[in-house]
Amino acid sequence: MPLRQSVRLAAPLFGAAVLVAFAAASLPWKSGVFARPRTPFDRSAASSVAPGFALLRAAADVIPAGAVVVARTEPRDPVHETYLHRFALALLPGREVLPAAYYGQATPPEVWGRAEYVVVVGARPADPPGTLLKETGEGSVWRRRPGGDESQRQAP
Amino acid sequence: MAASARRRRVAAAGALTGALWLATMCLLPLCGFPLLSHPAFRSLTIPSRVVLSGAAGAVLLSAAMTGSVLLDLHWNESLVAGAAVLLACGLRLLLGKERAQPPSAEPADRLTVAAHALSAAAVAIAYLGARSGSATSPDLVFFWGAKAQQFAAARTIDVTFLENAFHRYMHLYYPPFVTNVYAFATMAAGRFPWTAAVLTFPLLLAALAIGLPGLLPRRAAAAWSALAVAAIAYAGIAADVAGNGEMPLLLLETLAVALLVSPDASRASTQLLAGILLAGAVTAKVEGLPFALAACAVFLVRARRPRAPAAARLLLPLVVCLGAWFFFGATRRLFYGYAGEGRMLDLYPARLATVLRLVGAALASTGYALPWLVPLAVLPFAGRPRGAAWIPLGTAAALTGFFVFTYLHRAEDPTLWITWSAPRIFMSVAMLLVIAAASNASGPSTPTRSRAAPSPR
Repeated sequence: MPLRQSVRLAAPLFGAAVLVAFAAASLPWKSGVFARPRTPFDRSAASSVAPGFALLRAAADVIPAGAVVVARTEPRDPVHETYLHRFALALLPGREVLPAAYYGQATPPEVWGRAEYVVVVGARPADPPGTLLKETGEGSVWRRRPGGDESQRQAP
Repeated sequence: MAASARRRRVAAAGALTGALWLATMCLLPLCGFPLLSHPAFRSLTIPSRVVLSGAAGAVLLSAAMTGSVLLDLHWNESLVAGAAVLLACGLRLLLGKERAQPPSAEPADRLTVAAHALSAAAVAIAYLGARSGSATSPDLVFFWGAKAQQFAAARTIDVTFLENAFHRYMHLYYPPFVTNVYAFATMAAGRFPWTAAVLTFPLLLAALAIGLPGLLPRRAAAAWSALAVAAIAYAGIAADVAGNGEMPLLLLETLAVALLVSPDASRASTQLLAGILLAGAVTAKVEGLPFALAACAVFLVRARRPRAPAAARLLLPLVVCLGAWFFFGATRRLFYGYAGEGRMLDLYPARLATVLRLVGAALASTGYALPWLVPLAVLPFAGRPRGAAWIPLGTAAALTGFFVFTYLHRAEDPTLWITWSAPRIFMSVAMLLVIAAASNASGPSTPTRSRAAPSPR
């Protein structure tokens, strides 16, 4: 086979080999690529949402179908709460999920005040919003007491 | 102890649901089988026909599901799958007595074996990236999966859910292919498995690795296919596309454009199949529309006269599928077209240099831009562009122009928007460069002019 033709045939193969090598090197070998992750986001660029994902998945065990839920952070962070609302909608199917924040802006308490359950990502709130149902390393799940709680104050 | 046993039981049940969900995807070739088993497709290899059956089957299934919604019929797994099979049977009738010769069996040389090994390695790496939670797209949770899950529960495209003011971030006008197919698998499996949904990235990449070599011009087809698969694998991991609409779109686009550059591109059957796949691309993501229009336009410019039958075969499936989606949006007063960034010609041309710099930076931060640079570097080895190579090259140029045009529309600072979206949407351009090179390397044939196109019945 002439040299020029050999080069032409080998070029895509060489290119594929380069890309496969770089792709393999990009995997998180040091953090255990074969280990089962806790959430699908553990090692992705969006790993900051992993705790919220894990907590909401755990919250599904204690929040019944048809319940009204709000998910928020402690301390309050409207940007994070915007994403949390989106995750709660996906991970708590069959429940009515109300937003504590939307597009980075805190929503007024009237929007989510009728929530029966609160999922709090982060530290346990100083003023408990009701009865504690579940607590994990990522946060807590509460059944709200009637009449509201400290968290009904608008986020900054 | 009891809690640990319960966790294991829950994990096992979740794994079973995930396996069922993915198995449903693997059964989609059955929906497309009546069409792809037609003798007109005998010139394709068996692996390519199976993958094309799955891709076309998925498009027909999605069309049947959207049709059911328009008829106010709730989805039933058996009925919508049956409707997809009937659609495939109806399309088969259009092909009449067209026949093709089976491909000649060629012994696999060392180059082919090495290429297949590299493709398998790229798929394995994509699997590890997806399974380890390194490549997951937040959009899976934000809207693709969330909508599919809700639609599966409602057994229709849930208008009340879409109308909710706090669900507007889910882009209610986004076309229905991905959510329909995900919803179908969810109805079959019983619930939406978030972890398994991430594995659609390696699954569909594997489908591409299996199906593409048989469509590309024979000479070094496996090697060019391996390059395309490796570029998509690396860019997909670096841009976090696992679970979102990118991989379904890329699979449909790649198969369609490979058919359009194949030696059989002048056949009515090939054009019809490419039209169905392009209809799938158009209803998978918004950017599928400029892709399909550009690919069809370049193909038709090169096609022999009369061009109307070829245009009908390529464009009618797309018009029907997208028309049905816009009809749904209009009749439910949800949307009347695609929402853009401002009005069509309200541009900020002074931002051109910034946009180009940001796109370059976004690609550079995605695997050092290697998924684009390597295909570009290899392109000259295939010789000067000629013949069918202009179809992917023209499409790549049009697509790049469209993306830059779109990025010039936003009044606010587009930095974040471009950083998030450019690596994903430009993956099609990397793939097109590889298909162009593969087509060019095959020799000086001009397939779309070389054979008489038998007319469909």
